Amino acid sequence: MALAVRDVSISFGGVVAVKGMGLDISEGEIVGLIGPNGAGKTTFINCIAGTYQPSSGTVAWQGRELRGLAPHAVIRQGVARTFQNVASLHDLTVLDIVKLGAGARGGASPRDAARAFVRGEAELEAELHEAVLGPLRLSPIAAQPIQTLSYGLRKAVDLARALASRPRLLLLDEPVAGLTAQEGRQMAGVIREVRDRTRCAVLMVEHKMDVVMSTCDRIAVMAAGAKIFEGTGAEVQADPEVRRVYLGEP
Amino acid sequence: MSRRRQIAAAAAVVLAVAGCFALGRYGAYLVHAVAISAIAALGLNLLTGFAGQISFAQGALVGIGAYTAGNLGNAGWGAGAVLAGGVAGGVASVVIGLPALRLRGLYYAIATLAAQFVLEYLFKIVEPLTRGISGMNVSPLVLLGRTVASDQAYAALSLALLAITWAGLQRLMHTNVGRSFLVVRENELVARGMGIDVVRVKLWAFLVSGFVTGVSGALVAFTTRLATPEAFSLQLSVDQVAMLIVGGQGVWAGSLLGATFVVLVPEAIQRAGEAFKAANLLSASREMAFGLLIILFLVFEPRGLAALLRRLGRALSRLVASRASRASPTPAALATSRYPATGGSREKAH
Repeated sequence: MALAVRDVSISFGGVVAVKGMGLDISEGEIVGLIGPNGAGKTTFINCIAGTYQPSSGTVAWQGRELRGLAPHAVIRQGVARTFQNVASLHDLTVLDIVKLGAGARGGASPRDAARAFVRGEAELEAELHEAVLGPLRLSPIAAQPIQTLSYGLRKAVDLARALASRPRLLLLDEPVAGLTAQEGRQMAGVIREVRDRTRCAVLMVEHKMDVVMSTCDRIAVMAAGAKIFEGTGAEVQADPEVRRVYLGEP
Repeated sequence: MSRRRQIAAAAAVVLAVAGCFALGRYGAYLVHAVAISAIAALGLNLLTGFAGQISFAQGALVGIGAYTAGNLGNAGWGAGAVLAGGVAGGVASVVIGLPALRLRGLYYAIATLAAQFVLEYLFKIVEPLTRGISGMNVSPLVLLGRTVASDQAYAALSLALLAITWAGLQRLMHTNVGRSFLVVRENELVARGMGIDVVRVKLWAFLVSGFVTGVSGALVAFTTRLATPEAFSLQLSVDQVAMLIVGGQGVWAGSLLGATFVVLVPEAIQRAGEAFKAANLLSASREMAFGLLIILFLVFEPRGLAALLRRLGRALSRLVASRASRASPTPAALATSRYPATGGSREKAH
């Protein structure tokens, strides 16, 4: 397994957010993580990404333990994430943000900074246009400030930023939330395209079931901080416990 | 910045530097006073306006640069003393910035205030290095084997260093280190999530800002030929923060505009007092008038002179455009006036 999470738990002031959670993801696989609001999905992603440090359990990525690493160190291991709410970063253009993603690969070493300071970043820009901005159709708006873009485009830029770090594991936190149905379908297509092109593993937290069903190879269901089911889309839809907890059926 | 604008800016700097030698002594003094303050304000702007870390220890950092350069200048270091002043400022700034890795906002501001007081005290008691309260005499700067003695030469040197610092910082903001400053300023949590090493980025901001401030301190030492603890007191830190407020944070031009305002307005009030034979009265009310002007800025234009001038410039260009279109209304101009553009790209602050 590329990612092997075992028995991860985390509490906040006595409130258990994630309890004994485990999940495996293979290379090139897209796994969906669904559950009602407050189930602990984003907290679980934060535990993998290093934003939160779990109180117990292990997060093994390609045989290396991620638990205890800071977020910037986790990204250097090839694990990138996107955000549920995209921050409006004033004064930064689309290209600036994607360059920051590329910089997260190895951190801003004094040597890299000195080279960029003296020589400029023409080579990096060309590489990012070809590898990230072009495939996501963001090249025409590369020079635009991020806060002038629609919410949907900002989500795409956030994905581009994560992809610029050349991830082998992509953690997507509600990538189609707030998008129109058409934008959502486009985003889902982009995610599949990225997986097919780079063969990276993808863990996707999402509420929109049509997107989850059409995009994910496997789905895990969380409720009250724990995993209650895991299987294919058809199996998830057929499970009575999932229907009761997530869909509110009696 | 386009190639053409770069060349125009470089030509303007060369002309301004050369023009310093045509100035009288008082004019040259004003130029180097503004330029040196603007260099320190650029350093503070990087730290506060671009990286979001407020500091009230700027005065003490100028002092660190001044005492380092003064001692080394007296030992015959020449231009290396200016550089060493910058290095000492950078190191001291990193040390002062260490609490910022754990503290935020007002708490960190208070920590920098404490650092200002500690350093002020050290300037008074570490006599072998500072000569205590009486201050340290500094030999003139020796540059390329020649002694820099005149105010005109110091004005030219200060202007040249201001231009180099400005261009360097602007360039830095177009690297990932500079971009990281902006993200950390906006939201540290987002910065962490984006894979930015926030601790390292803050240390970079303190180092570069301190270096620039230290260079400004070195110039203070060489132009005044004296380094005393009073010159690097909290008053100087407050003046520096006032420069940012008046000039505009997060805009490089704001540092120069703010320094010009803070250095020249009290000077102008003093001169006006002398001209109207009310020097004593105006001298006493100088600080009050200056304080009132800052309050007016905070109330009416909190984004500073840079934003005010930008707005005026836009209004002026709109006025010129509307007059031109009224004089000869073309179909395109008519269409624009009926259906004005909405949105569009926003000018980058840096």
